[in-house]
Amino acid sequence: MEIPLKNRLKVLRAERDWTQAQLADALNVSRQTINAIETGKFDPSLPLAFRAARLFGLRIEEIFHDQDPCNLQP
Amino acid sequence: MNQLSPPESGYESRVRTRVIQLFRWCGVWAGTCALMAFGPKFLWNKGLVFTLLAIGLNVCVGVRTIVANKRYLEELDDLQRKVHLNSLAITVGVAMIVGVPYSVMASYRLIPFHADVSHLVLLMALTYGASNLYGTWRYR
Repeated sequence: MEIPLKNRLKVLRAERDWTQAQLADALNVSRQTINAIETGKFDPSLPLAFRAARLFGLRIEEIFHDQDPCNLQP
Repeated sequence: MNQLSPPESGYESRVRTRVIQLFRWCGVWAGTCALMAFGPKFLWNKGLVFTLLAIGLNVCVGVRTIVANKRYLEELDDLQRKVHLNSLAITVGVAMIVGVPYSVMASYRLIPFHADVSHLVLLMALTYGASNLYGTWRYR
């Protein structure tokens, strides 16, 4: 079973006042991909997640986290 | 405002370049298909050597078109690749599921017209196009 990822991409982008197109350019993907990730329709690959983490200066798990109840912190 | 510096070569422009290359090779391939199909009758009076040369040219250009398509797919990002992968899966499935009964029906003369492989190619092209449009719409 595929567990969808939740992410803070939209929040991080808004904090920096970037458009989806700017973020897409910086991550070397299409704007449609950024939109699909932000809306939870598509989960990024590991290399793309690493690129996003590098761009925002954060760790991957600070941007993406799964919604599996087993992984929730007590 | 935190400024982002655009990369030297943007994703969109690189994909556009690959699409143009792919379209060019598809056009050349279609031209060699026409040459192979109509040349023997209208250009060289069914001369065997020229017919074989036309077939060879078609195969060579076909291989180059496959390479161009592969390069185009490699240039796409994760999501676009997923959309294309889904489209290819649907297209192969439809071709198998429709193609085999179609062939059986043709051999038992259950269809009123001559079964041609071009019907299958057309079906695959339409299926690929439709599933690609659906995938693009789904993730818009």
